[in-house]
Formats: sequence, structure tokens, C-alpha cells
Amino acid sequence: MNEKRASRIWASIVKCASREGAPVSVRHVCLACAEAVSAGVAVFLSDSTLRTGQLVFATDPLGEELVELQTTAGEGPAVDAAAGFEPVLVPELGVEWSRGRWPGYVPDAVRAGAKAQFSIPLRIGAVRLGALDLSRRTSGPLAAGALADAMVCADAVLALVLDRAAGAGGEDRFFDHGAELHQAAGMVSVQLGVPVGEAMVRLRAHAYAHGERLGEVAKAVVQRQLRFSANDKSEGEHR
Amino acid sequence: MSVPDARVTRTFVELADTLVADFDLIEFLHLLTVRCVELLAVEAAGLLLANSHGVLNVVAASGEEVRLLELLQLQNEEGAAIDCYREGRAIECPDVTRAAQWPVFARAAQEAGFAAVVAVPMRLRNEVVGAVNLFAATTGELGPDRLSVGQALADIATIGILHERTLRRHEVLVEQLQTALTSRITIEQAKGVLAERLGIGVDEAFASLRLFARSHRRRLAEVATSVVERQPEGEAVAEAYRRTR
Repeated sequence: MNEKRASRIWASIVKCASREGAPVSVRHVCLACAEAVSAGVAVFLSDSTLRTGQLVFATDPLGEELVELQTTAGEGPAVDAAAGFEPVLVPELGVEWSRGRWPGYVPDAVRAGAKAQFSIPLRIGAVRLGALDLSRRTSGPLAAGALADAMVCADAVLALVLDRAAGAGGEDRFFDHGAELHQAAGMVSVQLGVPVGEAMVRLRAHAYAHGERLGEVAKAVVQRQLRFSANDKSEGEHR
Repeated sequence: MSVPDARVTRTFVELADTLVADFDLIEFLHLLTVRCVELLAVEAAGLLLANSHGVLNVVAASGEEVRLLELLQLQNEEGAAIDCYREGRAIECPDVTRAAQWPVFARAAQEAGFAAVVAVPMRLRNEVVGAVNLFAATTGELGPDRLSVGQALADIATIGILHERTLRRHEVLVEQLQTALTSRITIEQAKGVLAERLGIGVDEAFASLRLFARSHRRRLAEVATSVVERQPEGEAVAEAYRRTR
């Protein structure tokens, strides 16, 4: 059952954090993900506005190197995943179609020791932030259930990255909300003249600053009781 | 009450016809919910899919009224859809005033004007991926005929989502579900952008998106992406709306 999957993953993330006595961060999501899918895990962020200081996290040197290679070459499974809608799954990195698709990346990746790579988009609707990049030194597909586990981890990374950008604590999970949140983000993006991803961050920051729930803030925006103005620094005005 | 055979056949042919190369999943699912309402003589229909967290999300509904969407969405706490999803079987409630097991859902359903509710599972082999909700304005059972047509429509919806030649890997199911859910989120974002730009409500914004997609033979999710990313096509949608006023 999927509910059990999400609880299991979050419990694992929290455990990784408490092992270090630190608040939950992207690092812990990657560690938990690595345990769940038996692969190296790295985060590839394509949206520079949301980097919040830390460039990339990787659970192992291979993962880190692959992200660097893809960033430099401007191509690779993570680059495609970050730009597209779907995961890019490459159980055998060295085969012809893979070499043909990413000629500026695959030879270097194989030389570095990578045999399989699976990249999952980090996105909320049309807001694309990057990809969660899984890699292995052995070829073969992901185990059953591993992809779904990795997707839950991708959502967790998204929630943490957005929350950090909002200066908030990482408690609010963007994926537990319904349509209103996304409609509100669209509206606020026009009000502020910013991309939708940033609008989501501003909504979250407003909720956090006012001690309100994100869902309530979204509802107020959609009902036109709360409006964000480009002149304000971070907060919306209630009517 | 039985369902007229010819209309059922026509509907299935119509839906099967849409399962071609350039097929638009969200539009297909929307059409399916509308056909549910027509064929089964119910008031409203909604289609929910579970994401990888097991949270049911509305992916299509026969109408965009807030009341209906909220009613569908709140079922993550209690209601016919969540029971149907968990148990993998049809759940019927011919009279919501008797639904003591769903106090919040029953009240919301009544406030929305519904007296009876049914949920049929969307399943592929052993996996339940979501549910189709049917709402009637009067009490009473759906009856075996309508229930089996409803299940067949839900099965078509599942096939539409798993629109691949063969389902070789479990990953394809997960990917396709994620694509459907991501598409829906993009559409919600686009509704917000358009609503704000044009000074209209989100349901009117959705209608303008659909109209544009259909008349330009583009997928809803693609047009929505253009709107959200402020690409020229997105501008064209706003322009097209303004011209109709």
C-alpha cells in the first residue's frame, strides 16, 4: 500500500537525521533513498534560484562525479529528467542507444565506473527544479518498488528545498495539498511577476511568517481575499 | 434501470478511438467522467488517482464546481472513494443520510446536493490505482446494470492511463500515474495564472484552456505548461479568451 510506503520512507529519513542529531535535510533524504533502492543518490538542481547555498548532495563519490559530469557536459539522464516529465531509466549505461543519446557524457560516466543510472524529475506540475539521480556500479533494472520509493524521496527533496528557500522549517508537505495550492501559486506568480516555483516559496514564507497553514493561505488567495503585491518584500495583504 | 445498449457501445468506441498516438490523457479522463454522468444518469462523476504517497488526487471531474472538487478531495480522510481504494471493490451508499461511518463526507455530500454515492475501483491486475466516484441527486441503488457499466468505464480509464503496448515493468505503471498527476498539477497552476491575468474564476480559466487545446489540437497539459512558463502559446490562450469577450 502506498500509504505504508510513504510512512516507511519518512520514518527512514527521520532516523537518518536523528542518527546525526541534526534536523531533517536533503542529505538525509538521499541517505534514506540510497538505503531503500541500493544505489548511490545525488541531487541535481537545475534551478539556480533555489540552490540556497548548498550546491549538490551525493551519498557517494560516483554519484557526485556523475552530477558534475552532466553539469559540465550539459547532457545526461539527469539533465533530460530535469527538463522533462518522466523518469529516465538506464539499466545499462554502456549500451548503444545510451551512448548515442548522450555522447558527451556516457563514455566519461562509464569510465568513472557507472553501469546503471536512473534519474527522477524534481518537479511540481510545470515547476522544474532538477532531478534525483540514482547510480550503480552494477547494471540491471531497479528492484520492484524501488522506483516508487525513489519518487517519494524526490517529493521529500522538493518539499525540503522549497521550505528552506522560504526560510521555513520543513514541516509542510506540498504534496498533501489539493488543487487550490497550485492555483494559488499560479495567481501569485502573476501578482508578483515571478516564476511559479518562486510563487510557491512566497506562499510558504507567508504562511510561516503568519503562523498560518499553507492550505488556508492558498484558499485565501484563490478566494481573492489575500493578494501579493510586487512592492511588498515577502508578504501578502489581506483584504 | 438499464443502460441503453447503443449508447454504451458508442461511448466505448468513442473512448477507444481516443487511445491513439497523440492522445491527451487529461482530456480523455474528463470526457470519461462526462460520459459516466450521461450513461449512468447520475449527477456528477470524479476520477481520483493515488500518488506514490497513497494520497488520492482528483485528476478529472464532470464539472469544475469547487463544491464537487472539494467533496472528492476530502475523501482522503473518509468516504466512499478511500474505502473503495483500500478494499479494491465497489462501495455503494444508496442514502448518504444513513452513512454513519462517514460523518464529514456525508454532510459535505448533502450540502453539495447529493443523496447517494458509489465508488468503483480502478485496478490493474492486483493493484488498485484509484477510484471513480459517482454522485446521484436522489437516493436509491445504482443497480447491477449501471454498476457493471460504471466498472467498465473505470476499466477503460485505467487502460487509458496505462497507455502502453505491454506492461512489462511495474515501473511503467508508476511512471504513467506520475505523469497523470503531474499533468493535473500543471493544469491547476495554469488555471491560477489565467484566472489572475484575465480576472476570471478558475473554472472559466479551465474552460478557456480546454477550448484552446481542442481547437489547436494540442494536449491540455502542453498548453497548460506554455501558460505557466509564459511561452508564446500561453499568451495566445489569453488573447483567444479576450477576443471572445
